[in-house]
Amino acid sequence: MADKPVYEEASIDGQPSKLASIPASDTTVWADASPLLQAACAGLRDGELIHGDNFNLFAAMSALEIMDPKMDSGIVCTYYSIDEAIENGAAPIPISLDSTIDVCRTIDIMDHLLACEAAWHKGHSLAQTVFSCIYLLRLDRTAPHALLHSYCRIIRATCKAVVSVVSDARTHEEEDLFTLTYGLPLNGDGDDKCLSILNAVEETISRQLRACKATSSKRRLPEDLEPLQSNPNLEEGFCKALLCRLRFRKHFFHVLSCMKRPQGRGLESARKHIASCLTELESILKSADFLRSCFDESCEGDIDDKTTASGFEPIGFDAMLNSRLSAPTPPRAIKILSWKKAVEYFVKLLHDLDVICSYSLDPHLESLLRFVVQFQKSQPDLVARSHLQLLLVQDGKLYGRDPFFAVINKAAALPEATKNHDIQKNESFLQLGMLVMNLLKILCTNAAWQRRKLGKFLQDWRVIYVQLELAFRNEYGEVSSSSNDENTCMKIFQHILLWVEEQTFWIAFRFLILGFELELYSTGEYCMVYWYLYAVLIKLAEKTHLMMAVSHDTAKRKGKKKKDSPKDLARESRIPPAVLFLQCYICLAEGLTMMLAALRNEIPVFHGPSPFNTEHEKFVQHFELLQRACIPDHVSYLSYKESTTHARFSTLAMYNYFKDAQRIAKEVKSSFSNDPERLAELRKLEQVAEHNSVAQNVICRLGALDPSLKVSFEFSHHPFFATVVVKRS
Amino acid sequence: MEAKPEEKAEFEEAEIEYVSYGGEHHLPLIMNLVDQELSEPYSIFTYRYFVYLWPQLSFLAFHKGKCVGTVVCKMGEHRNTFRGYIAMLVVIKPYRGRGIATELVTRSIRMMMESGCEEVTLEAEVTNKGALALYGRLGFIRAKRLFHYYLNGVDAFRLKLLFPPPRQVL
Repeated sequence: MADKPVYEEASIDGQPSKLASIPASDTTVWADASPLLQAACAGLRDGELIHGDNFNLFAAMSALEIMDPKMDSGIVCTYYSIDEAIENGAAPIPISLDSTIDVCRTIDIMDHLLACEAAWHKGHSLAQTVFSCIYLLRLDRTAPHALLHSYCRIIRATCKAVVSVVSDARTHEEEDLFTLTYGLPLNGDGDDKCLSILNAVEETISRQLRACKATSSKRRLPEDLEPLQSNPNLEEGFCKALLCRLRFRKHFFHVLSCMKRPQGRGLESARKHIASCLTELESILKSADFLRSCFDESCEGDIDDKTTASGFEPIGFDAMLNSRLSAPTPPRAIKILSWKKAVEYFVKLLHDLDVICSYSLDPHLESLLRFVVQFQKSQPDLVARSHLQLLLVQDGKLYGRDPFFAVINKAAALPEATKNHDIQKNESFLQLGMLVMNLLKILCTNAAWQRRKLGKFLQDWRVIYVQLELAFRNEYGEVSSSSNDENTCMKIFQHILLWVEEQTFWIAFRFLILGFELELYSTGEYCMVYWYLYAVLIKLAEKTHLMMAVSHDTAKRKGKKKKDSPKDLARESRIPPAVLFLQCYICLAEGLTMMLAALRNEIPVFHGPSPFNTEHEKFVQHFELLQRACIPDHVSYLSYKESTTHARFSTLAMYNYFKDAQRIAKEVKSSFSNDPERLAELRKLEQVAEHNSVAQNVICRLGALDPSLKVSFEFSHHPFFATVVVKRS
Repeated sequence: MEAKPEEKAEFEEAEIEYVSYGGEHHLPLIMNLVDQELSEPYSIFTYRYFVYLWPQLSFLAFHKGKCVGTVVCKMGEHRNTFRGYIAMLVVIKPYRGRGIATELVTRSIRMMMESGCEEVTLEAEVTNKGALALYGRLGFIRAKRLFHYYLNGVDAFRLKLLFPPPRQVL
């Protein structure tokens, strides 16, 4: 323990020394550096720079200007340290000697902490948000204040649990600020008992609520219970306001604990707690009216911007105290979410978690992929996405339950028996399992990061296909074998090779369409994008169709039917609905490609050339990763030009791909009557097709004649198929 | 200095003089412009890094002796490609919308091209429609979206211009 610190000010005016919060120790001493700095200022002229072996201009960029408030993270704003802040009364315990005010201020702290928590989830550092709370930074000193103490404990335990989930998911990359705790006191002794501590406080307040209700109805209770605060008219309101806040925290903690249980065993319980959380959040919102009317004074400013329900500023928060801990770069001032927005955030988070908890853990990979894609449409935040990822991939198995070879086996329509085949120990099959696992993880990340990863991933899938194909040819290329096991192996290879191709094209498809969601394409690039999408979709449809034929074969061979009924034969010759679905996409892609090509060829002003490069360079850049992986084969800028160079309004008039799309969409709806998600998608496709069909007719009739025709593209009906809008200016 | 909102300067485009970075005397002009308009705090060393090592890539725009715009860039080897990077581009409000920024950037890119760069890159806020349109017209594509790139939570696009392969000189 250091001696009482002595601080020597630059004694220009001989002022008495001040207590320092960073004490000198046995091996360190404070010294006044002002004269040295002053001499250094005069040491260099303008334009001169120190050269050194490990100090160059690049390194110099990291220089900070001391005392610059934007750059100097050590700059003192109010207090040097947490201890100094506490000594100066920044976080009093109790908060007020007036018990009514104390309760009110406690609720303000709870509300502000919720707002901080939401701000943290949204991407700000823990140090500047939740841990800007001085009470939380020195949790032990809150022990005499049961309410504050229990609330702070559970917040700390909750934050720790959330950090753990996101860390385990390990795909936060761009969002890595989230898990950086920089020595903040997240681990507390006894935090595992936080629920029982909270329950005790909840029980006390419940009794206080019952007591004040009993008093108001003139009934006397045997207990001699001390009321929560001194104003009997406000007792019920405060009890209720506190109870819903405490209960929300309790249920939220339970949600996290339940969802953590392996193999999705806790999902059903989690749903119950989620429902309770939502109920309590509603009560929390309703408590705002009471809290605002408690005192005669009303708060200044717009109530919607405030971080507390009452509208008052909370006591005991200082974001600058942690400035040295918050991040490697100097912390910028951040805006904590408003209390209302924080509640909204948690409502959304809970709904997203509920979707995850409702998932049936379908062992069919295809259904799972559609579930994840659908889930991502609601743009879930990091915490929800991390939970999904951890549910899907645990201990190297799907849902912690199904080995990935078995999953692939099923997806590739192989008979159930082959899932235990020794061939899965083969290096290539092991790697394929890893690829599927990584695919699931990638699909749970944010769209921007996801697209980059999927693009790079294509190469891995291409390589595994080549590897498997090589292994297959080496084993079975020349020899026609009659051994049963060899036949089985051959079948496994054939199915899986086909499945890998289908999966690869699916990834390529997803890569391309994410570009629309992320607004990566400018209007002048739509033509080439839709053209490439068309090329990929053709291959995807082809492989999907083959896969379904092969799967039908497998089902037949199981001996399900002795003889094919006429109905079965008819069904066999029809195109499966899933393939028709893709054909609808193909028609829309083709229609848009040709329309955009015609517009570009007929109206020179439609897209002018750029001074530094041509369409070729843009093509190369956008499709580099696909081209490198030869997805699809024989597709190049040249083939794109060949397909589109002759498009004119006259050629456009000859064929309406949008009408085809409309027809297919209508036809295939009946096959998806039990699938609301696909039905909704088909409805959107119909709308796009209809609008674009009309637009095409207008353009063909008037395009060449009317120079004032303005064509624009909106994604009002569908996220990646544009609706063409034609206007006359 | 507060620019009065909506007040546009009156000038002919021919009156704008474009000058390559000429030395220390230009540095305070660049710094003032950038400090005013952009929110990132740069120390003087950051500016020096760019203008000392690549003076030929920074340009200033003057109107009747007053500095109204600047572009600051660098170039170098990056993962086996020789690449240019546009670090800062500023034109003061009353002079915007008249092609000054385009001209500044064009001069710099031309210099990068002549110096052997294979591509040029920069980041821009996804909400910065003006910048996206400007660079789009010059041939940049939006290569990547960077989630929450800026501290205010806004995403960024990484914009990239790929030069065509140099024509064979017979």
